[in-house]
Amino acid sequence: MTGVKALVLTGYGLNCDYETDYALKLAGADSHRVHINELIQGEQTQTGPKLSQYHILVFGGGFSWADDHGAGVVLASKLKYNIGEQIERFIRDGKLIMGICNGFQSIVNLGLLPGFDQSYQERRIALAANDTGNFIDTWVRLKINNDSPCVFTKGLSHIELPVRHAEGKFTASHQDMDRLFENNQVVMQYAGDNGTPAQGHWPVNPNGSLRDVAGICDPTGRVFGLMPHPEAFNHVTNHPDWTFQKETLKREGKTLDTQEGDGIRIFRNAVEYIQEHFEQDLPKPRV
Amino acid sequence: MVSRLETRLKPDLMDAEGTKIRQKAADYFNLRIRDIRVIRVLTIDANLDEHQLYRLQHDIFTNPVTDLSSFSPLANDFDWLIWVGFRPGVRDTAGSTAVEAIEDLLKIRFKEGESVYTSKLYEIQGDLSEQQAALIANEILANDIIQQWRVIPKKDWDTGQGIGLIVPKVILDHTPRMNTIAISSDKELKSISEERSLALQEMDIPTIRHYFLREDILAERKKYGLQLPTDVELEYISQARSDHCNHNTFRGLFRYHDRSTGQKETVDNLFKTCIESPTLQIKEHKDWVISVLWDNAGVARFDENHYYCITGETHNSPSNMEAYGGAITGIVGIYRDPMGTGKGSRLILGMYGYCVGQRDYHGELKPRLHPRRLLDGVIEGVKDGGNKSGIPTPYGLVLFDDGYMGKCLVFVTSMGIMPAMVNNESSHKKVTKPGDLIIMSGGRVGKDGIHGVTAASETYTEHTPAGHVQIGDPYTQKKMHDFLLEARDQGLIAYITDNGGGGLSSSIGESARFSNGCRVDLDKVPLKYEGLDQWEIWVSESQERMTIGIKPEHLDRFMALSAKHAVESTVIGEYTDSGYLRLDYKGKTCALIKMDFMESDFPKWEFDAEWAPPEMRGLREPVISEPEKHGTVLKNILSRSNIGSKNWISRQYDHEVQGGSVIKPLIGRHRDIPSDAIVVRPILDSQKGIASAQALNPFYSTIDTYHMTAVTIDEAVRKVLAVGGDPDHIGGVDNFCWPTIQYDPDKNPDGKYKAAQLVRSNWALRDYCLAFGIPLLSGKDSMYIDGNLEGPFGEKRKVSGLPTLLFTVSSVIQDITRCVTMDAKFPGDLIYVLGDTKNELGGGEYYQMMGELGLHVPEVKVEDVWPIYRALHQAIQQGLISSAHAIARGGLGVHLAFTAMGGALGMDVHVKDVPCSKPLSDTRILYSESAGRFIVTIDPARKQAFEKLFKGMPAGCIGTISDSKRFRIQSKTGSWMMKEDIDELKECWKRPFGGLI
Repeated sequence: MTGVKALVLTGYGLNCDYETDYALKLAGADSHRVHINELIQGEQTQTGPKLSQYHILVFGGGFSWADDHGAGVVLASKLKYNIGEQIERFIRDGKLIMGICNGFQSIVNLGLLPGFDQSYQERRIALAANDTGNFIDTWVRLKINNDSPCVFTKGLSHIELPVRHAEGKFTASHQDMDRLFENNQVVMQYAGDNGTPAQGHWPVNPNGSLRDVAGICDPTGRVFGLMPHPEAFNHVTNHPDWTFQKETLKREGKTLDTQEGDGIRIFRNAVEYIQEHFEQDLPKPRV
Repeated sequence: MVSRLETRLKPDLMDAEGTKIRQKAADYFNLRIRDIRVIRVLTIDANLDEHQLYRLQHDIFTNPVTDLSSFSPLANDFDWLIWVGFRPGVRDTAGSTAVEAIEDLLKIRFKEGESVYTSKLYEIQGDLSEQQAALIANEILANDIIQQWRVIPKKDWDTGQGIGLIVPKVILDHTPRMNTIAISSDKELKSISEERSLALQEMDIPTIRHYFLREDILAERKKYGLQLPTDVELEYISQARSDHCNHNTFRGLFRYHDRSTGQKETVDNLFKTCIESPTLQIKEHKDWVISVLWDNAGVARFDENHYYCITGETHNSPSNMEAYGGAITGIVGIYRDPMGTGKGSRLILGMYGYCVGQRDYHGELKPRLHPRRLLDGVIEGVKDGGNKSGIPTPYGLVLFDDGYMGKCLVFVTSMGIMPAMVNNESSHKKVTKPGDLIIMSGGRVGKDGIHGVTAASETYTEHTPAGHVQIGDPYTQKKMHDFLLEARDQGLIAYITDNGGGGLSSSIGESARFSNGCRVDLDKVPLKYEGLDQWEIWVSESQERMTIGIKPEHLDRFMALSAKHAVESTVIGEYTDSGYLRLDYKGKTCALIKMDFMESDFPKWEFDAEWAPPEMRGLREPVISEPEKHGTVLKNILSRSNIGSKNWISRQYDHEVQGGSVIKPLIGRHRDIPSDAIVVRPILDSQKGIASAQALNPFYSTIDTYHMTAVTIDEAVRKVLAVGGDPDHIGGVDNFCWPTIQYDPDKNPDGKYKAAQLVRSNWALRDYCLAFGIPLLSGKDSMYIDGNLEGPFGEKRKVSGLPTLLFTVSSVIQDITRCVTMDAKFPGDLIYVLGDTKNELGGGEYYQMMGELGLHVPEVKVEDVWPIYRALHQAIQQGLISSAHAIARGGLGVHLAFTAMGGALGMDVHVKDVPCSKPLSDTRILYSESAGRFIVTIDPARKQAFEKLFKGMPAGCIGTISDSKRFRIQSKTGSWMMKEDIDELKECWKRPFGGLI
């Protein structure tokens, strides 16, 4: 255990908390599933968990408040008007926030992204209904921007992950889109087998996202939101081609050498970042 | 004060919902619409000031990036405007979440009666007649059972008032009342029962009267001010004695007569003889079977520290009326069963099965919902129910037959996982003890699912609840699920069960049997709206509720947890050892029934069952010569509705959530071929997995339901073994759906035959479960899959569904990395067929394509196939297999194509090498649907080791995988009977539903 503490939100219809918690643990974090009400109560009454005790805050996937009134909208409003200040302080303290799927939808509604000009309160991005008008579960290939300041994707050039959503169409004004690209805040884009962006083609771009954007970060690279689910690629057997890969290896006289899925690398980057930057806070390893 | 907030997408943004409706209007009715745009309406019936309204408008409900909103009407650019809103009393989840959001934002509480209602406006641009606009409203946008709608032409639009302020609030204006019922004669009770829609069974009436006239009972009742039975009591008895709750058909007496042999046999209780007894026998030898035949789901061992539970049921009638509502209620409902099994389990997956009329049906009968609309609604219901519950839906089957237009079938299956021990006790155990508190958690009670809700006694008004069809609410249930797991882990749950059919009457009635009594205060049950009679509270089937028994000393902790999870929980009574079930309302007793009354000697249901074997019924093999165009035959079969790709359904269902997906529903190089079975890893840090698959073969029923059942069981078993399932751990779930079997010379003239079909099916279930060693972990029966459909002349025609059995198999995988998929892996790999191919095309797809039924239905000889299954398992464990696939409907030709398409590789196959115990023609070999067979591909380097395992068994190397993309089959005479491009085959296979997303 690294002493890096992570908090995964639960409750009100969120649902990827077990596997997100598991992925963080695999990456070395001391992770806890904490109910939204428990956190609010903790902050407001001095009893219970507090954000300041953690280094990584994860808004995971799910259907908070059933996705009624726009995905992530009610969760964002609930947090903003109860513990908005504490969340902002968490960012300014140099800690990490990650929003996956419903969590991404929530943090854009909270205004934590895009975080232009150090502002973490503005709703400037929407994850609108998929162009098909329907939910889709499919694996996508993502091209990762190596020039992005995003701490979660360090050392990754591409990754395959599943998407599972009905509202994932990344939408922003033309000016904001340009600005995101200029700032290298676009972290990942939906891409074809050869690694080039999907150019909007379905289902390579599964939702019609503008300029194939799948995930962005704030200018510091410490707040990261993405539609795909890295926690769902926690084991090699999650990958749709794993039986083919196993067979390929076998014929080369090899076996599946690692059991860990690629998605864990994103969480491990987060844990390592905290180890590096919060060294003084972390318990010293016993020799 | 009522306000109406309207929200719409900015005009430059694409309206995906509108586009989808426009497509449907074109596909369904050939209507050309230029544009449809949606306006979301929130009608806020609460006392809020302008500032508060401004805040909720901007801080919650308007996304500044995408939305425009206003408290004045937004609609302006349309030819027709359609408004669609719920009827009073229909579950409006979005309305409730809006209330939650507003309360939290403004730090206020809505007062009793205040609420928010959601509805939608559709702006339609297009040259439509009023009739056509109404068609869109009624056939695409709204179902009048749960929704109300208005069609407004441009000229009638009031730009100031808009749609007005429509508040679908339930106002019953009724003082709850308990009635007593006269029982001076059987005849009198029968007529009152009919009058009040009590639905008491006629043959039960003497037993019921006898009970209420007993002196000891009268004396006991007198103490509580009761004499004649009350409506609460009779409703309770009626519920408990219904076929749904009591399985009277399966527990009935069948007089079976085989007309060909003259054999006569009395079968007393199909459940006991064909389900319970074999399962108990098998349980003796299988220590992984933990708990069967009594709880909400069966329980089996997953590993040292965990059990899994499984169950399945149907939700046919409600889905037939309101497809979306019925299906979502069905899937959300089946999720409560594992939640209420033992001390409660965490849900890990759901599965579905839909049997409907042909999607493009254009015959002359008029079902309430066209199969296309019905299927669309059912798919969407399970999508929302599963996805919003955070439970993967990785497997399902769809079958088209116009017989299901009388009543569609919607099967739902679920699995859960729980720690093996809770509080130092095996988690499958639960009891109620005197003094334990009865708690109802989750949703509130309304007039949902109560018979005859809008019956004659009530006048229908705009505020009458539309309660007979419900809409499940996965959001409320997910909160409850999370809460109950935490309560379980803290050791706070003594007993838990769900509220499904029969509502509290069933959940409390059954749980009180452990303590031997209970007392319930019906007035404490939280209601959705005032004005429910006592009996209605007791039998209401309002969803998303669990009944929990807890120790009084745990109450505070339990309630605190419930509050944390924002779940409503209420103490509504206590368990006692009084020997009586007692219900009070505001201090006055309204029901007192002796606990052992339900075990009284009620008369059995009796059926005449008359069997004539297929030959005697005139069935015969068709006379068809060898076709000349073999390639075209295959392509045609691939594009038939029951073979064709249904990928558009699986892709809408989240099958990755929970992070444990191992074998997915769609696999292969292009991830688009259905897998035989799915595998999940429910405990993320374990290498173990659960495999599951289902089978459904009702077309064979028309020849012989005995073999239909055998083949269905065998197919589900093979599918699970094909991915690496363990032959020593095969759990089964039987879901029967049968047409009415009670003979009636006018209404059901073939009832005796249908009864015999049911008996034979059960015999096969018994025989094959014993032979394969399958304990039936769970099962349900759903009878009466008939309907009377309107014909073109104003007549009604009875349509009965095929006798249908959905069989589900579960298995535990010791090491998931040994699993295999069905797609061919590499060019040069050898292709094997395991198992004997026989002349068994009867009831199959090939004959059906030729308009024939045939006679020779596939049969299963367990002694022949079992060694093959074991050898296959060994081969998979030893890593000898590259792909394995169970041959099912369509036969070898179709399934070879699947293996090839899955690998995006060609193959060369020689028909002469297919193992056949008797010589068969090329076509018969390719399209026979013989059971017990697999297609396997292997690395040629493993040939020797592989063949050694199958020595002496029918296992033939029939060809090789090629990299040519050519699917080539060589006839027995050596000519190439087909050389098809696999991409073209795939295109044919995807054709029937190709445009659907």
